[in-house]
Amino acid sequence: MKVSISWLKELIDLKVPVEKLIKLLPLRTIGLKSTDENFFELDMKGYNRADLLSMRGVAREVSAIADSPASFKPVNFEFKTQRLCEIPVEIESKELAPVYCLVKIENLKVKPSSPEWIKKLTDSGIRSINNVADITNLAMIEFGQPMHAFDAEKVKGKIKVKTARKDEQITTLDGKIRNLNEKDLLITDEAGPIGIAGIMGEKMSEISSSTTTILLEAAIFKPIPIRKSAQRLGLHSESSKRFQHGLTKTNLLQALSSAIKMYEALGGKLTAITLKGNLADEVKTIKLTQQKVNSLIGIAISSKQIESFLTALGFKLTSRSSDGNAVWDVAVPYWRLDIEIEEDLIEEVARMYGYEKIPAKTLDTNIPDHTQNPLFGLLDALKKALVMQGLTEVETYSYYSTQVIKNLKLKVENLIRVANPISAETEYLRNNLWPNLLEVAAKNIRNNIKDIAIFEIGKVYAPRKENLPKENYHLSIALSNGTDNPIQELNQIYKAVLKHLQGEEVQLHSGVEQKEQNETKYFHPTRFKSLGKADWMAEIHPRFVNKFGVDQRVSVLEIDIEATMPQ
Amino acid sequence: MEQKIIQIQNNFLEKIQKAKSLKELDEYFLALFGKTGEITLLPKEFPKLSKEKRKQIGPLFNQTKQKLEKAIQLQRNKVREESYKKLETEKFTLQPQESQGKKRQGHLHPVTKLENEIVELFTKLGFKQYNAHHIDTEGYNFELLNIPQGHPARDLWDTLYIDTSNVKTTPGELLLKTHTSNAQIRIMREFKPPIRMMSIDRCFRYENVDARHEHTLDQFEIVYIDKGVNMANLQYLSEYFFKGILGKDIKARLRPKYYPFVEPGAGVDGLCIFCKGKGCKVCGGVGWLELAGAGMIHPTVLKNGGIDPSIYSGIAWGAGPERMAMLKYGVKDIRSFKNGDLKFLEKF
Repeated sequence: MKVSISWLKELIDLKVPVEKLIKLLPLRTIGLKSTDENFFELDMKGYNRADLLSMRGVAREVSAIADSPASFKPVNFEFKTQRLCEIPVEIESKELAPVYCLVKIENLKVKPSSPEWIKKLTDSGIRSINNVADITNLAMIEFGQPMHAFDAEKVKGKIKVKTARKDEQITTLDGKIRNLNEKDLLITDEAGPIGIAGIMGEKMSEISSSTTTILLEAAIFKPIPIRKSAQRLGLHSESSKRFQHGLTKTNLLQALSSAIKMYEALGGKLTAITLKGNLADEVKTIKLTQQKVNSLIGIAISSKQIESFLTALGFKLTSRSSDGNAVWDVAVPYWRLDIEIEEDLIEEVARMYGYEKIPAKTLDTNIPDHTQNPLFGLLDALKKALVMQGLTEVETYSYYSTQVIKNLKLKVENLIRVANPISAETEYLRNNLWPNLLEVAAKNIRNNIKDIAIFEIGKVYAPRKENLPKENYHLSIALSNGTDNPIQELNQIYKAVLKHLQGEEVQLHSGVEQKEQNETKYFHPTRFKSLGKADWMAEIHPRFVNKFGVDQRVSVLEIDIEATMPQ
Repeated sequence: MEQKIIQIQNNFLEKIQKAKSLKELDEYFLALFGKTGEITLLPKEFPKLSKEKRKQIGPLFNQTKQKLEKAIQLQRNKVREESYKKLETEKFTLQPQESQGKKRQGHLHPVTKLENEIVELFTKLGFKQYNAHHIDTEGYNFELLNIPQGHPARDLWDTLYIDTSNVKTTPGELLLKTHTSNAQIRIMREFKPPIRMMSIDRCFRYENVDARHEHTLDQFEIVYIDKGVNMANLQYLSEYFFKGILGKDIKARLRPKYYPFVEPGAGVDGLCIFCKGKGCKVCGGVGWLELAGAGMIHPTVLKNGGIDPSIYSGIAWGAGPERMAMLKYGVKDIRSFKNGDLKFLEKF
């Protein structure tokens, strides 16, 4: 949310310098993404403060944290609706569209907006289009309620809010043809779709220079389907963002009233209106106890302070008990959709107090007696023993690169596959470590480091039918020392590590001394040694080493560490 | 000119086809394509030729060049395959030779080094390590942590899902964990309060990689649950971490921050380790660096873990070891940690 500084100053009597406010906001409310002399941008990613997606919401917040009185008043809905005719509207599902309002305004003339409007929009990161379209955006930014204006002459017959048919198409305002499905909510007229609900209008019914009459829409749609449609269509907009965060009926009516008044000021005339759905917000009341506030924050905050913090933020407190441990019923202001439980209120108190002023308190001595998982001690001891033997630890991705898959002709059907890989490089999960170590060894050899002694300890993954896939810690070593028989030194290192690990809870096999039957094509025909179970060491067949652009001999070892631990 | 080209071709083709070793082939390659190689030098004579002649010579030259390159490549493979046949006769001997007494200097990975320090620090406070899944369910990673489907907070974690077409689970149910918080519910269900557990583990994100972003990252997280655990303890743990890992003068500062699985939630800043609060390039002039995320465990999450939030409260506190390592060791490019470059890794 980009907050226009001059607009903010219209809404509150800011008692602190802007530079100070910019330092205060991250400490009391929310982080900032960027600032300049015209605006500051709130970092709303993943945030739950729907109210901060409006200038009035930001003004209320700033008023509380910077002790600056608000100078705006609620906008009353004061149109004599009984004298107006109704626009026929049919809502297919009240669940998907709980509130739908449509007003008709005639006698408009499309012109460029005034410089003041253009500045407000520009500060807010929105491009000015024309006076008629800009009002919808100005009202959205001020109240947080998205609006859409259709050219009334292009809309034929009854308006319906309904889900799309499979394979239905729409040309959106940006001129692109969009393929819809049954999950997308549409606004339609007799001829077909005139907008994707909450996301974007349709091209034909767009406001043009000849528009004189508009249908102005303000609605509340169910957030999750809007989010899904916006995601699928890749159409995240200022409007869809606000639908996703949640809207309030009070704000909707205020935004609608304010927009109508702005159209009237342009000479427009309200001639028809339709209001569908329950237009009153529920008031939530939450019990708050001083004892809980203080025990969760860890300091003593007086009941007076708690009351003043919450009142400044618009909460209404009714005292239930005030002897020593105060208890209140707290009515949540309609615009704070994020406040649901007592802990939410405690956060409000804590941030008004100032998180940064909470002193540090040591933990008590109530140390639990959980048993330590022996795995981690073993991994640590192994790493240290390997480093003592002169090996360097590397970390590689949990995936096989396309190069590894291609060079080793790996059967990908045996691997776990990522359904939505970032690229082919993150599509298949490794089921051994040595292929990645071979890749790293070759890369370093090509980079003129001819003596390679590396290891990795990390998880490998294998599919299995039940529950979760199998994932086990493996150890792999790659050694390439310039000799024609590097497995010799690898074996020495392995033995030294075994010696080092005596006393650890691990049963590593010292290996079968004679040559094992070696079926796999990856290894040197004679240089393979089983280390029990599935563990082994071998020289990689030079043919496969060469695939990585290297002619040096490389030996590797692979051990399933978890399988070696006593059960 | 034509003759010269044909002569080079015939002369070398014969030599190449007779070559018995890679070394020999390397020599021919240099003699042809090196800085002063015969093929390399040929085009320098082209300007002397007439236009028409050049039109003839050009294609011939290219053909010859390709032919020779291919011949070397083919012969290299042939020589290799010949040598592979001899592998059968190579002995499998493990007896050490005299020459193998050389000693290398080993190195722990810089992130491991830092993580060891963290584990040691928190072991002193009675925290034990938990072994969590990398591949987990939507439930443990999101839903039980108070992050339902369609929640706007899901934007914080771009998720990699597992193809479940050959397992029993429904599509979209298995994922690569996006944070160590996937361990929280399992920890609560496995242990009774008081709980002091930690998880230090690899996490996965749908993220394009550059000098500051990685799709594979470690996280460190503690779960601390007892009666009366509070935000003042959170401040203590934050300072304990920063002072223990980044230096005695690195103060911690809490700020409000929203995470669906904690309430109140906190962003944890550490005093900028470069300017110590004065404001510099690294911290963008603010004097503080955002280093961790934390909060009081949300009562819904405690309930999902089988713990009564009216009796117990808890802290979840997490940070990224790679980022700490970058700050502490002055590493500029996050990709250095996982690309296996020994020139980098041997500095630590």
